Amino acid sequence: MTIEEQLIEYAKQGKLLTHKCTKCGYLHLSTAYYCLKCGSKGFEDVILDGTGTVATYTIITVAPAGFEKYTPYAFVVLNLDNVELRISGFMPNIATPADLPVGTKARISGFDERGILIEKQ
Amino acid sequence: MEKVCVLGAGSTKYGKLSESIADITTQASVSAIESAGIEPKEIKASYISNVFGVADKQVHIGPVLMSRLGIPDKPSLTIESACGSGSVSFREAYANVAAGFYDCLVVTGVEKVTHTGTEWTTTYFAYCSDFFYEGQAGASFPGLFASMARAYLTEFDATEEDFAAVAVKNHDNGFLNPKAHMQKKITVDDVMKSAVVASPLKLYDCCPFSDGASSVILCSEKFAKEHGGDYIEVIGSGRGGSPAALQGREHLTTIPSTKLAAADAYKMAGVTAKDIDFAEVHDCFTIAEVVDTEDLGFFDKGQGIQAVREGRTKLNSDISINPSGGLKSKGHPIGATGVGQVVEVYDQLTGRAGERTVKDAKIGLTHNFGATGASCAVHVFQSV
Repeated sequence: MTIEEQLIEYAKQGKLLTHKCTKCGYLHLSTAYYCLKCGSKGFEDVILDGTGTVATYTIITVAPAGFEKYTPYAFVVLNLDNVELRISGFMPNIATPADLPVGTKARISGFDERGILIEKQ
Repeated sequence: MEKVCVLGAGSTKYGKLSESIADITTQASVSAIESAGIEPKEIKASYISNVFGVADKQVHIGPVLMSRLGIPDKPSLTIESACGSGSVSFREAYANVAAGFYDCLVVTGVEKVTHTGTEWTTTYFAYCSDFFYEGQAGASFPGLFASMARAYLTEFDATEEDFAAVAVKNHDNGFLNPKAHMQKKITVDDVMKSAVVASPLKLYDCCPFSDGASSVILCSEKFAKEHGGDYIEVIGSGRGGSPAALQGREHLTTIPSTKLAAADAYKMAGVTAKDIDFAEVHDCFTIAEVVDTEDLGFFDKGQGIQAVREGRTKLNSDISINPSGGLKSKGHPIGATGVGQVVEVYDQLTGRAGERTVKDAKIGLTHNFGATGASCAVHVFQSV
């Protein structure tokens, strides 16, 4: 499986595949091929729970093709728990900012034609 | 390195244009050539910036332009770097003149997309994001900048009305620009009552999708002096990059590529942010202008919004930001925008800007980025 396919398989289980640099320990999303900090190419897989808090988000009402039937929905950037790493994704059924204050606890809940899915915990 | 000058400049009107992409590319280039007072045969090569030529059934525009200019034997190159294509193309042309490869180039940016409609443009523009993480998850470009706006509202003392004031200011400037796509004044109330596109951004927080073309003649100082027309000097050129996806940025309200490009351009020019008299910055959304003016060093982090509130970025105030009306009012034909900014600086520094003239301006800056600032170029210009 390619790196993207592996990430997708874990996301479908609510998990996040990440890459930890074997040289300096810096943690990356698994699509990184070289370490951001030291340039090394050696990584070990670290499977995260995919839980975190909402860092920022938007509620989209004018959608790209294929997403019209889901409006309004949120595009969410999540601060992952216990690590210095973020992941973004699609959150269905969010209509107003009151539905999703910054800091709301959320988690990866799957992967489909809408990319990485995120739901409130 | 050779000193590099802008010897002539021209644009089509920005907006919904009926002519073909090849036609508007040529119109803008001819106006730049005539403004420079040169003959096409003096041009050694062209640099074209364009993103969605496929939408008007014409990619590989360079040879079409050169054929229409009567110089089909001269080489051309088309550059794509999303909404930052124009400034990157300008930079590559600059580097080639500075290195002495060419003494005279035409740099033309163009886009023709309005006939495709909002859904097509929203969909295709999203392909400029880090698609696996962003576009695929339904993020539109307004949505990505709205995410930055939400982070800014959370982190700093700012309101949606403050963002609206950026749009009002740029429409005030664009009202004085006959080439502007949206040559009309608006109020904070108009912005606040416009339809939500991606909260907290509303329609009037967003620049329009535009058609248009802009062109400049870039040449060596020796060439400029020999031709005798009005010219300005390029004194600084910088580029930078940022993590492609917002999630990878250390701060969600800062665009790292702007800081890197500005640092390089300021260093080369031997100036600081305080020396800049006016700037054309990448205000694709109101939040972007606020972030840009902080990242370019005009204001401290979190203070850009206070500067807007106090009117310090209006025409002929502390620093005139987007005297042309910016992307917001002048319009955003994405391949043309970065070149169009240089056209405005040329017009300002050679006394061609009419009612929107920045008084006593000597040094102008252009700032143009691709996507959410994943790529960026900054240039500094000086009158001679």
